[in-house]
Amino acid sequence: MPKHPSSAPVFIKKAALSAMFAISLLTTAAMPAKADIKIGFQVPLTGPAATDGKSAQIAGQMAVDDINAAGGVNGEKIQLVTYDDQAKSDQAIFTANKLIGEDGVKLVVNGSYSASGRAAAPVFQQAGVVMISAYGVHPDITKAGDYNFRLVHLGPPQGAATALYIGKTLGLKKISAITMDNDYGQATMDGFVGAAPKYGVEVLNKYSYSLKDRQFGSIVASVKRDNPDAVYATGYFFTAGPLVAQLRAAGITVPIIGSQAFDSEKFIEIAGPAADGTYIMDSFDRDRKDEKLQKFFSGFKEKAGYSPEGVAAITYSSFMLMADAIKRAGSAEPAKVRDALAATKNFPILEGTLNGFNSLHEIIMPISVNVIKDGKFKSAGMITDLDAFAPPEK
Amino acid sequence: MVGTSNGLIALLASIAAGCALGLVVGFASLRVRSDFLAVTTIGVNFLFTGFVRKQAWLGGEMGISGIPPTGLGATGNMAMILAFAFATILFSLYVDRSWMGFAFRAVGEDESAATTLGIDSRAYKLAAFGIGTAFAGLAGGLYAFFTQFITADAFDFILSVTLMAMVVIGGIGSTLGVVVAAIGLTLLPEVIRFVNDYRLLVYGGLLVLVIRVAPGGLAGVVRKLFARAS
Amino acid sequence: MYYVDLAVTGISFGCMYAMMAVGLTLVYGLLRILHVAHAAVFALGAYVVVLVANATGSLILGFLASILITPLFGVAIYRLLYQPLLKYRPDVPMIASVGLLVLMQDAFRIVFGEQGVTFRSNPLAFTTFNLGSVTFNAVQLALVISAVVIFVGLHVFTTRTRMGIGWRATVSRPQIATSFGIDSIKVRYLNFAIGSALAAIAGGLVALLNNLVDPSIGAVVSYKALAIIVLGGLGSVRGTLIASLVLGLVEAYGTVFIGDWLDRDAIAFLALIALLMIRPQGFTGARTA
Repeated sequence: MPKHPSSAPVFIKKAALSAMFAISLLTTAAMPAKADIKIGFQVPLTGPAATDGKSAQIAGQMAVDDINAAGGVNGEKIQLVTYDDQAKSDQAIFTANKLIGEDGVKLVVNGSYSASGRAAAPVFQQAGVVMISAYGVHPDITKAGDYNFRLVHLGPPQGAATALYIGKTLGLKKISAITMDNDYGQATMDGFVGAAPKYGVEVLNKYSYSLKDRQFGSIVASVKRDNPDAVYATGYFFTAGPLVAQLRAAGITVPIIGSQAFDSEKFIEIAGPAADGTYIMDSFDRDRKDEKLQKFFSGFKEKAGYSPEGVAAITYSSFMLMADAIKRAGSAEPAKVRDALAATKNFPILEGTLNGFNSLHEIIMPISVNVIKDGKFKSAGMITDLDAFAPPEK
Repeated sequence: MVGTSNGLIALLASIAAGCALGLVVGFASLRVRSDFLAVTTIGVNFLFTGFVRKQAWLGGEMGISGIPPTGLGATGNMAMILAFAFATILFSLYVDRSWMGFAFRAVGEDESAATTLGIDSRAYKLAAFGIGTAFAGLAGGLYAFFTQFITADAFDFILSVTLMAMVVIGGIGSTLGVVVAAIGLTLLPEVIRFVNDYRLLVYGGLLVLVIRVAPGGLAGVVRKLFARAS
Repeated sequence: MYYVDLAVTGISFGCMYAMMAVGLTLVYGLLRILHVAHAAVFALGAYVVVLVANATGSLILGFLASILITPLFGVAIYRLLYQPLLKYRPDVPMIASVGLLVLMQDAFRIVFGEQGVTFRSNPLAFTTFNLGSVTFNAVQLALVISAVVIFVGLHVFTTRTRMGIGWRATVSRPQIATSFGIDSIKVRYLNFAIGSALAAIAGGLVALLNNLVDPSIGAVVSYKALAIIVLGGLGSVRGTLIASLVLGLVEAYGTVFIGDWLDRDAIAFLALIALLMIRPQGFTGARTA
């Protein structure tokens, strides 16, 4: 037998792991801050969330360009400091520490998934840095403290609003529920199941699938057997596309109600003609006569080569809100910006009008619903009964 | 501080749990061939995360949050993690030089020859699994204190590949080589923008390149240079 | 009819797994290498199908291109990566293979984008047949038909043709085959070429079924296929076919009945680990290395 490398004692690689964390902690050396107002920006540019990350990055850059083109805030320009967090908690902590220590950033937009926002929120809280989580849906993010805000509806309220919409607005009673196996899917579905009885909605059966699944044969067969009035599914557009296509291909013609993250042109592209008749909760009305919205739409399409989805719009709105808060605070000092954010009243964002934040800094805002018709997003009304899906206060 | 002493107990528990799981997998290793074992260890990870995802008492998809801080602060945490890392390195170097290290290498190179030397290969395989996974448990415990919440998503196959890349690039069997590779691969994306954007491309590429060109990894290259110099 | 619907799902999955895994098990039989990067071949096959089909407007051209291109890629993997590593222990080429898979996945992301690629026109995915109250999708049917054609073809090839008999002999008894004058290098090329083409067909059909090819398309399949070939008794085509169908069915039913406490992707490995504890040599594993 020829020579070969000797077998590795397994433990050595484990030593490497702890070394890895230690080293990364070392990168938090302090550096002096510069003149412009810096806004830190965490986005998942690589890893499984990279699709959303790329949209968020483009939208964030557009927002900052637009703010600066309009003369900046309080006479100062905004400078964007972007880091890739890979939508991972450890990377979120590293990059949060870098933003605070190296870049001297005091205001941050987290344009990433919950795993990132959850990990980063306590770090920013402790450093007295204001963070707006654009679309992280885990409850922990705002619970980290008063410096943290969220510009998207929490999973459970979105689920509760969905129950209202299905039961009252659409008048459908028997539902097959399909959950994506991650925190967002689970939390939203919990909210739906909890609120369903209030509106006479009966959940016939609950199914779940993993984020990596693109084949839903078993679930499709089960839904067929359930013979429901409608199907409610949580998921991202890349799981939702194949799911809806396969449900329709199996001859299931009842309405499909999808969660917020269905909202993407790519969803329509994947599901093709099957996308028609799918309702998307907490979406945004693309046809709204709003100059800013239409400008954002065309600008984004030009830059990215595809139409903006919900993630892009909410990230753009996060920067606009932050800039507005700085303006109202009259300074970029984090404590003042925090108070200004908390006092936000009826601020127009791309999705509509933000009523404000509650005591936990969760948004209070009507939920808009879209339906897909002839391969296009069409508004299917607003859920304005704010009490029905009030976010938790603590 | 209360947190600190409880934290120590928690870390001990993480070491014990890691060790116990390692021993279970280790028993499997005694029964199956080496390539079957490779598939089995990949499978154990899928099975474990696939199970945790569905368990409400383990937080399910939401993960476990509100893990209390160590009470040492950011600098204290860093010092603690570094101290554990150094202790792990020292222990690895010690084992490497001991009879046990010799036995590990002997079993690794040629199991039947090792058996004729009177080395109980089964016992040493189990020991390697037990010790190795105990350190993995320790690292996991430290990770939990560092991030203060954990989800199954954080422990995916990519993490396994990253760790394997560190071992192979550093040099299989070399403590210092692996430490250097671990530090290097962690810092590289921070320093070079390109590496950050194409992280997996670089890791995978390095893995292929090192195996193809220098299967001994960094440690092998260094050894060869020294051998040539003397 | 619910259970029949589930069975249809399971069998079509199983056929997909079988087409993907047969290349792996043949490589293992010949070279004792766990060819993890086979999943990259599968993904490449899917990308070629969708890109060529979109460019030319012909699905058939897409599949033809894929069946021509992926064997070149598979043979190149053998020639450039595995062959020089054969002198080492089997774990060494396996690690290289994992490296290649990770590299390729990221390369797909960089070249073709995170968003993935969809078919411009994909009537098959939306065409269904009803047989009683059981519904078949055209792609599911295509999966089953392809698998049947391929496995019957393989069987004929390895029992009726000179080349095929030589191949089979090389897989089961390499030394003896060589002494009978069979060119074992040619057999290896043939092996990678055929295995890759089959993975490409599977990849293309999955792409049609999902109407989406994204960089992660091969990720889960790769490790499951490993479990399948171990369950099938490494190197055995028949065992692989059986294990694939069993896994497809178990997953189809398991998703519904045990989905509450275990992820679907973990089912394959649960079966694998359980089997290895009972029968360390695998399902059919008559031969031991």
